[in-house]
Amino acid sequence: MIGKLIMADFLKMKRKGFWFLAFLGPFGVIALQMVNYGVRKEYLLTQSEDDWGYYLLNVNSFTPLAIVLGIAIVTSAIASVENETNAWKQLLALPISKKTVFLSKFMVLAFLLLVSSALLSIFTLGYGMYLNFDQEIPYSDIIIFSFYPYFAALPILALQLWIATVSNNQGIPITTGILGTIITYSSASLPDWLIWKWPAVMLEWEEPIRIVMLGFGFGFLLFIVGMIDFVRRDVK
Amino acid sequence: MFLSILQSEWFKLRKSKISAIILAAPILTFLMGLTMDGFEFIGDDEVNDWLLFFLFSNLTYSLLFLPLISGVFASLVCRYEHQAGGWKQLLTLPVTRGKVFMAKYTLLLLLVFVIQMLYVVAIFSVGTMKGYTDAFPMAIIWKSVFGGWVAAFPLVALQLWMSMIWKTFALPLAVNVFFTLPTILAVNSETYGPYYPWAQPFLMMYSVEESMDSVFYVPWDQVLLVVGGSFILFFFGGMIYFSRKAI
Repeated sequence: MIGKLIMADFLKMKRKGFWFLAFLGPFGVIALQMVNYGVRKEYLLTQSEDDWGYYLLNVNSFTPLAIVLGIAIVTSAIASVENETNAWKQLLALPISKKTVFLSKFMVLAFLLLVSSALLSIFTLGYGMYLNFDQEIPYSDIIIFSFYPYFAALPILALQLWIATVSNNQGIPITTGILGTIITYSSASLPDWLIWKWPAVMLEWEEPIRIVMLGFGFGFLLFIVGMIDFVRRDVK
Repeated sequence: MFLSILQSEWFKLRKSKISAIILAAPILTFLMGLTMDGFEFIGDDEVNDWLLFFLFSNLTYSLLFLPLISGVFASLVCRYEHQAGGWKQLLTLPVTRGKVFMAKYTLLLLLVFVIQMLYVVAIFSVGTMKGYTDAFPMAIIWKSVFGGWVAAFPLVALQLWMSMIWKTFALPLAVNVFFTLPTILAVNSETYGPYYPWAQPFLMMYSVEESMDSVFYVPWDQVLLVVGGSFILFFFGGMIYFSRKAI
């Protein structure tokens, strides 16, 4: 059943800009570095001995922001698909459980963002190779920088999906998404327990893999809480 | 007639959870101001505590928050009409499309003005709670907040345009994010930053100087060219779009 629901959700996403956004996010992040390195490559190369590492840091200064904002955009968009045409009623009148409806939307978006992260790693590698640093290509770092922020952002995905699906007024989830972005942007001076900080902090931790595990753990927890609340609410 | 349209726009908005969204900005500024301590060590005793905290908060507020949240307002003032054929009902009234557009735009400017004022209140509250003893730099803060408001005029116009095209909040936000995030890079460049419309709120609010007689903290030709130019483009673009839009 869940398989069919997921297929239905992918169908509903067609021609609504989802896949374009999934491409635009990572492309935008790298395009900013194209501008950055295009304008002042000489200066940036003098900033560090480790040119690849410095390039990855530059990319990573935008990745968390793009992910947090991207999550706000796609969760609100997927809720709007049902909201706009009052389709929640029709969807939930089908012989399916509300739990699987919520799960399906989460899976679909998690997959979409995973594709974005994969694209990010390809674009990062591509432009990095074009810049032609005099160094070995750090493949494992590219993977870490492209995927860890995504895993660390899973709790935000669960939270935003929850808020978006239970809000009739999409202004609410969009606003919480923007507030989260502000927290991500100023994460350096804020406490560690704020989930919006996680996509941005992996470098400060000794074992960055811990942020991935935290992401999975709290992502699962918030998903369950969101799902229970979604199930208990009246259909709008 | 314009005033009654404006009034009805306000009635529609009042039931749209607008107060929660308006209060989001000052509350976040307030909480972050209370939890953040680092910036007090940056300045020496010579620098006014208020000013230091104000500039520190402005960094996130003017760079990201103000441009992004004003886009949410724009989507909110169109939300009512996008639901269940609201545009049809509104435009069967004896109103012109131009006036409807103007009323929505005016309301947006008022909303942005309100959050600018609430932002000052948040700054003032944090400073009072932390017991700043320096004199409150009223003139500097007022000038900066006013400048940020004016710099938001073109951005709000573009967002209103985008919100009239799309029913969802998500796509206008995507456009907004697409233009707002590069600001972080743009403000680092002295050559290109001044010409980037989305960097203007930051430049107006952050580059404060005490000894300046002009109304704004950026040169007049930049205000006229960049803010004025993009305003004309976005405002009339949106207005022409709306007057031709098939309802």
